[in-house]
Formats: sequence, structure tokens, C-alpha cells
Amino acid sequence: MNRILPLGAIALGILAFATLMLVIAPAIQIKRMAPTPGLEDYSAQELRGREQYVAQGCVYCHSQQPRSSDQAPDAERGWGRASVASDYVYDRPHQLGTMRTGPDLFNVGTRLPSRDWHLTHLYQPRAIFAWSIMPGYPYLFERKSRAEPGDVVVSLPEEHRPANGVVVAKPAALDLVAYLRGLDHSYPAPTRAVRDDGYSERGEPR
Amino acid sequence: MIEDDRLRAEAHDSPRQEAAGRGVRRGVVALGGGAALFVLASAAFDLGWLSDRGEPAEQGAAQQAMQPFLPPEGHTIPEGPAGDAIKRGEAIFMNTRINANDFVGNDLSCSNCHLDGGRRADSAPMWAAWVSYPAYRKKNKQINTMEDRIKGCFTYSMNAQNSPTGGPPPAGHDVYKDLQTYMHWLATGAPTGTKMVGAGYPELDKPDGGYDPARGKPVYDAKCAACHGADGQGQRDLNGRLVFPPLWGPDSYNWGAGMARVNTAAGFIKANMPLGQGNSLTDQQAWDAAAFIDSQERPRDPRQKGSIADNAKANHGGDSYYGKVVGGRLLGAGAR
Amino acid sequence: MTEKIPGPSWPSEAFEPYETMRPIPLGVLMIAVALALWGGVLLFDNSEAVAIGQAERAEVLADQPVRSDADGATLFAARCATCHQPNGSGVSGAIPPLAGSPFLAGRPEVPIAILLRGIDGPIRVGNAVYDGHMPSFASVLSDEEIARLVSHVRERFAARPEPVAPVIVARLRSELAGRPAWRGGQELAGRMAPELVPQPSPALTGSSKADPATMRLVTEGRNGSWACASCHGALGQGSETVPRIAGLPAAYIARQLDSYVSGSRRNESMAVVARSLTRQERVALGDYYALLRAPSTAHPSLGGDIDRGRKLVLEGDWDRDIPACVSCHGPSAFGVAPGFPGLAAQHPAYTASQLTAWISGERDNARQKLMNGIARSLDDADRRAVADYLATLPPVPAAATKGEGR
Repeated sequence: MNRILPLGAIALGILAFATLMLVIAPAIQIKRMAPTPGLEDYSAQELRGREQYVAQGCVYCHSQQPRSSDQAPDAERGWGRASVASDYVYDRPHQLGTMRTGPDLFNVGTRLPSRDWHLTHLYQPRAIFAWSIMPGYPYLFERKSRAEPGDVVVSLPEEHRPANGVVVAKPAALDLVAYLRGLDHSYPAPTRAVRDDGYSERGEPR
Repeated sequence: MIEDDRLRAEAHDSPRQEAAGRGVRRGVVALGGGAALFVLASAAFDLGWLSDRGEPAEQGAAQQAMQPFLPPEGHTIPEGPAGDAIKRGEAIFMNTRINANDFVGNDLSCSNCHLDGGRRADSAPMWAAWVSYPAYRKKNKQINTMEDRIKGCFTYSMNAQNSPTGGPPPAGHDVYKDLQTYMHWLATGAPTGTKMVGAGYPELDKPDGGYDPARGKPVYDAKCAACHGADGQGQRDLNGRLVFPPLWGPDSYNWGAGMARVNTAAGFIKANMPLGQGNSLTDQQAWDAAAFIDSQERPRDPRQKGSIADNAKANHGGDSYYGKVVGGRLLGAGAR
Repeated sequence: MTEKIPGPSWPSEAFEPYETMRPIPLGVLMIAVALALWGGVLLFDNSEAVAIGQAERAEVLADQPVRSDADGATLFAARCATCHQPNGSGVSGAIPPLAGSPFLAGRPEVPIAILLRGIDGPIRVGNAVYDGHMPSFASVLSDEEIARLVSHVRERFAARPEPVAPVIVARLRSELAGRPAWRGGQELAGRMAPELVPQPSPALTGSSKADPATMRLVTEGRNGSWACASCHGALGQGSETVPRIAGLPAAYIARQLDSYVSGSRRNESMAVVARSLTRQERVALGDYYALLRAPSTAHPSLGGDIDRGRKLVLEGDWDRDIPACVSCHGPSAFGVAPGFPGLAAQHPAYTASQLTAWISGERDNARQKLMNGIARSLDDADRRAVADYLATLPPVPAAATKGEGR
């Protein structure tokens, strides 16, 4: 190891080059990007829900980046068109995620717009999908002997209902559902947008 | 040995220099060779040697001969007057009631029995019919031109006796010209003088047990009724447009039509029905379903001059229920 | 690393072993160079895919089966000819003719108003009365397109060559916004063309207001199941994988609810809902949604080839034993009650997901398994093409009670 200087210089150079190409250049490319027309900023409640999304660790199992039809049948799954960079301008930090243990959620508000459905599902996923491996979030709900005015009662199939009383959503659950219902990126993507365009030509493979 | 080394050291460049020179040469060769390799490989790929998208291997000539004829596709219809006639003919073929209303006495279209606009092999395709006429037909015991043949379709299958004009198009009518132009175009490149693969409807061997309308009814209920209706009268959309053609009754083909013969209907059913599930029925099921359908009353045979019995004798040999008694009813009187 | 120059007489005792450089085999170098070239070309090649992707998005943005700058004749061929026929003759007993129609000969506002709202009720054209069911094109055609289309149709079929300005369409669109379809010729002629009165009075069709108990199911749900409208929307218009159910045959809807319970159609969420419904409630919900009329909210979104989709829908692909969709679902893809649902204006993601479900067996409730084989014959690109094309069609008109159960 008697040429440590050139070795180190080369290593640092490679690192610098990679940082430039993979971090700095893309940052410059997308920094001044305007939001896609049709994209709306989050409401205060949705932002609180977004905090819940982060706090509950949803990102560990759910991505928010549908892919082009050349790469995965995401659009046919109802997950929406391939996302473009400008879809994420209000997401700081973004919740792209890398795991798809559960479905992609980038358009969950489009395909599952029902608040009551989400409450049921968050309280006990297996009330709907017997095979679901998603954890329930019962601590976002509380059990009451009877609903008070303004309470949102969770609709539950009989076998999942408490013996007496009702299950009521806490504000955190309502915020989270508001955020999920707000995940709607079904507006068209701009023609020129930074996006993964896949490999194969349209119509292939035949 | 040592001497040699020294000699070499003196005679040549230093080993380092020598290595450097070799390196440059090797680099040039590697670059050139690599580029050549790349060009070769991409050429091979483009020519289909390495690609699975390449042309399939040559098929045996015998197998090739068994492939049905491929008629031209719709977008290749030429521009100009000939193309316009082809398009008019196609329109008549697809929606006969709409585009040749004066000569059609029921709700059927040519394309109901000649599927895919007369293109489909084994559903009496037009490209095969075109090269088969003029021909002698036993049905009227004379040489038939294509116009004569189409006239027969209007007379029997389209039940022209019930049409606004009361008969098929008169000789030389534009309906014939347009239909024949369409058929001629469909037969572009078809050979004449040979029996083409996929012509007509397939001829089914009669099953050992014969055929039986009573056995056909459950087949009909299970396999046909979803579309043609339990009463065989077809179905319409909410605008009243016919979607599924009636199989019997006053709005179907009359007793003189080829489809009213059980063997013809059985061949058609076997090869083409249920729509999109051709050849899914057994021969026996196809015969029985055909027998059930063709033992229902339908418009009278326009050839009938005297009694049903006389007409049955003159025109209805073979597999026809015309003039026979089924379920206590003499068939052939004509549905109203 | 210091170089040893051989000594003058004998090898040094302090000999340090060293290796001469073993050169990398030339072949390996060549392959490396070729691979590098390949990588470079691939990078360059990918830019073509990017260009294709952008073109694709531009097409999806245009949202139409024909280019949005198409002329009136093209629009007529794509939008009107399936029903009114290429020569405008209509279909006797079913579709009124355009050729010589008095509704075209008068003010241009009349055909514009028909296109914007559609017709649900009997209408007299000439001496014939038609049981009118025309879709509204408000959600699928722009003001300019309607203006070009009406100009073309009036010039061709009513000898009125003066062009129609898009502003007239825009004005009428805002005036008529949110109105349901014309209840036949009586309402239409009464409002827009008094000279065409008398018109037949609308038949007594079912109302789209169901009894209060059914409406509670639709809008509120009940403990154990969610409100229909919470997913399918207030008008049953759906979105993405939630199907549009407005205007589907009543018996078809009820049968699907039965299928969710029996398991022949798998959808966990719908199974929860359907299990909580009695048979009577399923039928009542079917009746309610069959009469609902909702504008199209579907857009091509799967990047499918619209031309290929049109061919599959209208003609099929018999080389692969695929009959045309319209040969069973009706010439306008409005469905054929009671068994065949309407496909027009359905959301592409839903259509594609169902075609996949027929293959996987998650859905297996078609009569005679008619759909299973067809779905299997379609490949991924075809599924997307069909689904995207169907999304461009105008929505299914509400089925009058008369059409039901025929």
C-alpha cells in the first residue's frame, strides 16, 4: 500500500463523480419543477395524516410509485399511471418506498375512496381480507359503550364487532384516512416529464 | 542463460518499454476486435439469428397447404370507385337489413352465418365461394352464377318474400354488384379450380345414434339460450337493435334456406358455436342442437306451390324436418 | 515494486520473487470492449423509448379515439356511424335517420342540445317513432369537436352548409350543465324546436329514486357494510378499479352481488357488502343503478393502442378466435339485458382487471365461461388496448324499464 495517495484520490474522485451524477445533477433537474397540473397541496388534516403515515411506518410495506406498463402491470392493478417527478413536489420527504409487501398507495384515494372502508380496514384488515398480513391499528380507535354526537363509528362485520358497545375512530385514524383518500394522482401526466419510460416499444411484446 | 538475458536487454528496449509497446498494440487489437464483435453481434440480432422474434422455422409444405387462405385486411381496401363498391358491399354484408332493406324479410345479416365479414374459414367464407362459381347446383338443377347464388341467399336465408319489395333484388341490381365486388376483393390471390381449405361448413359424419330434437333441447338450453334466448328469438339492445339473431320463428331464415337442413346447421354449429368457442361441442351435440333448432316452425318455403307434402317431395330430401310431424305439428306451414 | 536488473554474473542472493504481468487474454478484452459499446448503444437506444413514452402520454392526454383536431367527417365516422350508419340512414325501428331529419334542418342549437344531453324517451322523426336511447356526448367531446361535428352533419344531411361556431356549443353547455337526458322528443321539441311538435309523450319509465331503505344502503351503508356511493360515487360512476355501475342491466348487477357471496367472483370488499344484503336488497340495488345515468368519467389511462382496441371491440381478431366485443355486448357496447353488461365508458383499469380475473379464475361467473377463453386469447397489450378504447365511448344511457328483461 505504498500508493495510497493516488488510490485515495481516485476513490474520492469516483465518489464525487457518482454524487454529482446521481445526487446533484438530478437535484438541479427537479428542483425548480412545478407541480403537475391537477396536483393539489395537502390540507392541514391530510398533513397530520401524513405524519401518521410516517409514524406508523407504512412506507416499510407500501410504495408510492406506480411503474410503467412495460415494467409492471401497475396500471391494470388500478394503481394508476407511472408517476412522474412533479407528482411529488408537495411530498417532503417523499414516501416513495421500496417494498411492496402491500399494494402501492399512490392512487389509493382513487380506487378506494370510501372513508368507512379505510376505517374498517385499519382497525382490522382481516375483517375484509381473511388472508391479509397487514397489522391492525386498534390503538388508533377506541371502544365506547355508545357513540356520542360527532363520533365516527367503524362499520364492522358481525364477527369482528365488540360484544357490546361500538368502535369509534380517534382523530389520528381520521387524519390518516384523510391522507389516504387524498392520494389521488389520476390526473394526466404532462407529456414532457421526468419519468421512467420503460424499455419496450408500445405494443410489444406481441 | 544470463548471457542471453543481457543480450536481449541490450538489443531491445527495456522490458518496461517493451511491455508498454505491447500494451498499445493489444489495446488497438482489443478495441478493433471488440468493435467488430459488437457489429457482428448486432447484425446477427437484427437479422434474427439471435432473436426469438425471428421468423418461425419453415413449415412443411404439406402443413402449409392445410392452412386456410388469408383474405386481405380491411385497411387495404383501395381508394376510388372500386374501393367504394367494396365498402358498400361490406356494409350490406355486415348489416344486410339496414343496407339492403328492400330485399330483406327478416332480421338477419349475411355476417350472422358467414362470420368475421365472410373471412372466417369453416363458416362458408366468401373467398372460397368466389372461386367456386359459376357452378351447377342440385338445388335448382342448373348452372348458377355468383349473382344467382346471392339471389338464393336473399330468397331463402333473408326470407325476401317478406321484404318490402316481396322478393330478392332484380337481376343486375347494385346490391349484387357491390356484394360481388366485396367478395372478389376478399378472394384477392385465391386460387381457382381447387377446393380450398376451410370452404363452406365442415361436413360432419352423422352420429351412429342419429340426431334427435329432444336430445338437442338440453344442449340448446345450456349452450345457445344465453345469447339466442330460450325462445330462440335472439336478443336486442336497449335501442331495439338486433344483437343475437333469431334462430326460428317469423324473423329467421325460411324453410328453403340451407341452414334449415340439419346437416348444414350441424356443421356450422360444430365449427363456430358458441361464438368464440368453436369446436367445443361434440359432433353428437352439434347434430342434436341443429335438429332442435331446425325442427321449429319458420317462414314458409317460397318454392311451395301446392301442398307441403308435394314441396317436401320435390325440394326437401335428406336431413330436413320440412313436411314432417314433430310434437304433433306438421312443419312447413310457415311461422307468422 | 522496485525493479531488479539482473546482475552482471550471478543472481543476487537477496532475490525478491516477482511476477511478470500476466496479460489479460485478448478475447476477454474484446468482449469487454463489445459490452461497453453495447451499454453505450443501449443508453442511446433508451432515448427512443423515452420519446415513445412521451408520444404515448401525448396521445393519452388527447384522450380521444380520433385526434382532437379531426374534421367533422372523421368525428362522424368514429362517433355516429355505428348507430346512425355511415350514410345517415339510421336503423329502421331502432335508430332514427339523420338524412333528411327535421331536427337537423332547423337551428343548429337543436342537434347540439341533443349531443350534449342525449335522449331517453320516444321521439318522432318524420313519420316514424323511435324508442330513443342516445348517449350524452358532453363528457367525451369538446366544444370545438361538437361544433365541427354538427357543422358536418347539417351540411351533409340537411343541406345547411353554414358552419357552427364553438361559442354556441359553449353557451348551451353551460346552460344545460347538470341536466339529465331529454325525456324524448316531447321535452326536446317543446324547449328547442316548437315546429316539430307534436311528439310522442314519454313512456312511464321507472324513476331513479328508489325506496328510502335502498337509498340508505346507497348513501349511508349500515353497520357491517359500507355505502355503495362511498366507493362507486354518487352517480355510480366509479373510478379506476371501482367499476362504473350506472346503467348496467339490473339483473346483471344482482347476479354479480350473488356471485360475490357464492365465491364465483372474488372480491373481498364486495363480498363483505354482498353478504350483508338480502336477496331483495340486491335486486333493489340493481334496479336503482340500472336506471341511473352518469356522465363518463373514464379516460384511456393504460397506454393501450386505441386503433388496435377499436379493431378488437368492433371486429374482433378471428385469427386468435376472439369475437368482436360488440357481437355480444351490443353494437354500441351498451350491453344486452339481462346477461351482457354495457362496456362503454367503463374505467380502463377495471376492464383490464376483469379480463385478467377471467384468466386467473378470480372471476368465473360468466355464462358458459364465454369470457374465460376470450380473455385468455388477449395478451397484455390487447387488454390495455381494449380497455382504453372502451373508455372513449359515450356512457350507457339509462335503460328504460321496457328494455329490461327482454
